[in-house]
Amino acid sequence: MNRKTSVSEKDERKVKLGIRDRISMLKNKRAFSLIFPFVILLFIIVLFSILTKGRFFTANVFKGIFNQSLIVGTLAIGMTFVFTTGDVDFSVGNVMGLAAAVGALHYQTSQNIVSTIILTILSGILLMLCNYTLSVALHIKSAMVAIIGLTLYASITQQIVGAETLKVDYNLCRSLDNGGFRYISFILFFGLCLVVYYLTPVGRQLRFIGGNSECARQTGINITRVRCIGFLLAGLGIGLAGVYQIIRTGSVSNSVGNGMGMDVMLATVLGGMSIFGGAKSNAYSGFTGALTICALNQGLLMIGVSSMLIQGVRGVIFLILVVLNSERAVTLPSRQQF
Amino acid sequence: MRTWKKGVCTVLKTIAIPLIVWIFFEIADRAVTGMGVINTSADVKMLLRNLISSYAFAMAINANLGAGRMDLSVGSQMYVGVIFGGTLAVNFGLGGMGMLVLSMILGGLCGMLVGIIFVNFRILPMILGIGMTLVFECLSFGVNNQQGVTIYGKGGFEVLSDVTFVTGVILVLLLLATIIYEYSVYGYKLKAIQGNQGLAHNSGINIYLNCIVCYLLAGIMASLAGVFETAFKGSLPPVLGMGSNSVVFNNFFPMMLGAWIGTFSHNQTLGILMGSLSVRIMMIGMSRLHVGTTTQNIIVYVLLLLFVIFNTNKGKIAYNRLKRKRIAEAKRMRMSGAV
Repeated sequence: MNRKTSVSEKDERKVKLGIRDRISMLKNKRAFSLIFPFVILLFIIVLFSILTKGRFFTANVFKGIFNQSLIVGTLAIGMTFVFTTGDVDFSVGNVMGLAAAVGALHYQTSQNIVSTIILTILSGILLMLCNYTLSVALHIKSAMVAIIGLTLYASITQQIVGAETLKVDYNLCRSLDNGGFRYISFILFFGLCLVVYYLTPVGRQLRFIGGNSECARQTGINITRVRCIGFLLAGLGIGLAGVYQIIRTGSVSNSVGNGMGMDVMLATVLGGMSIFGGAKSNAYSGFTGALTICALNQGLLMIGVSSMLIQGVRGVIFLILVVLNSERAVTLPSRQQF
Repeated sequence: MRTWKKGVCTVLKTIAIPLIVWIFFEIADRAVTGMGVINTSADVKMLLRNLISSYAFAMAINANLGAGRMDLSVGSQMYVGVIFGGTLAVNFGLGGMGMLVLSMILGGLCGMLVGIIFVNFRILPMILGIGMTLVFECLSFGVNNQQGVTIYGKGGFEVLSDVTFVTGVILVLLLLATIIYEYSVYGYKLKAIQGNQGLAHNSGINIYLNCIVCYLLAGIMASLAGVFETAFKGSLPPVLGMGSNSVVFNNFFPMMLGAWIGTFSHNQTLGILMGSLSVRIMMIGMSRLHVGTTTQNIIVYVLLLLFVIFNTNKGKIAYNRLKRKRIAEAKRMRMSGAV
């Protein structure tokens, strides 16, 4: 009798679940948010490989995509530690620009590339500590800090660089690049981030804070300290991206980093993570998203879409993916960021 | 008598910031260059042109921000509205008025489209803003062989630089926005939503329609700002790579300062006008002192930072002041032997 009842209950539940419910259930599964970005990236690779008759599926194209996504990807990996806790910071591009400008300026006076690299990384860390102080110690909403920081850092960079560009010995940059500096440092940084994010209490606490900061505080987590570590790691990523920026062209212009903060947010969201953080955040989302954007750009260029249209197509695809990957709120989503 | 005094006090508080800024720069400019902030009719013209675009754009940002929605696409809505509206006005010889009306309609439609998408798909406003910016920038870039719109040297557009007309538009905008935000059903409902969206929804307010109207108004006001900005510069070249966001960020200070001034008069529209006026006077004052644009930006944003730090922590400052007062009172009572 009992068995019969449970079977009929099961059937009833089956009847009640519509397609929408099933999609919603699928979206809420942890595995979905882990796999979705990779599925999209794979889909783009397969689609463009077919459309370009195999021209897309070559080592050179993949290397190009990787190189293009390195700066935004490094920034996004670092920023994951900030986004996870629910802090929104899109001044990251200009922070990187200022760090690179400080480094390049130092090189012009010292001609020492080692101290230039160290100073660039330190500048990135210090600037993010400044953002941390404003948003955590002085309680200013992180989006507000980002808006002020974005223009302030861009203006300071313009003031430092001036009308000319700051040059760094191009041959030295090439030799650093050929020596594999970028790849080795990126792998080390990515590895460090993965370890901290998934294998240490800090990573778990960051995700907890993003899910419910009040609950995290009441369970004894030192929110201020954990968020500080998050900002420090983000600063490390920003400094490293600043070094890559210098190495890539051997120069730093006064517009360096402009708009890159938005690219980082775009990459993070495309990588399957909410910029408002939470328990579903992933350390690799930003880099996967950056790879997806670069693969999409490269593929569209290879099939002959103009660079102007690429942006529009990217926007539409971005919105579609966001709709597919997010849960529809019952009422209008809003968040008091200011 | 008390009401009259209160009214005078409110007016003084509302005009205090622009007045202080003007007096400060008047003294500084006269001391350094021997000339005041506003000397000729050309200076008045420049102040008004800058003021209308800054004021309208600050209003556009504020249209959604109060309800917790940061719309990053409002800058790109301005580009679409002005470039399409301006192109139509130039091609059909509709002149400045035609450009103004068409741009506002098109900008409003763009805003409404964002609002409809937001209400239906419920994507986070900032994320939706990024996506829509990419699409709108692409649209505006494709017009006129990627040249944007140029009205410099074209007949019929002089009205957009006319001081009387610009002043009239500022006053009409102030009046209409005050009616819409302070005395209409829409404004009343918006205030309820700003207080608590869930409660407003449960009490029968159509939060979805109100939200679409917010986006519509933001698009209209952004395009209005864009038309006067274009008239000032003579052209509006299109941008890509989310460059339109810089317009949004540049007008944050007038909006923030204005929202704070607005708390004195309980009229945000008037407050934002005063905030925009203060920032514009500051900019002109610094230009008189031969301060470069980059340095001006640094000064303005450091000031904004200080203002935000004060505004965020003013409750704490007041609390600490009260605490000190209480401790002093307790000490005084203990000394006098009352306890």
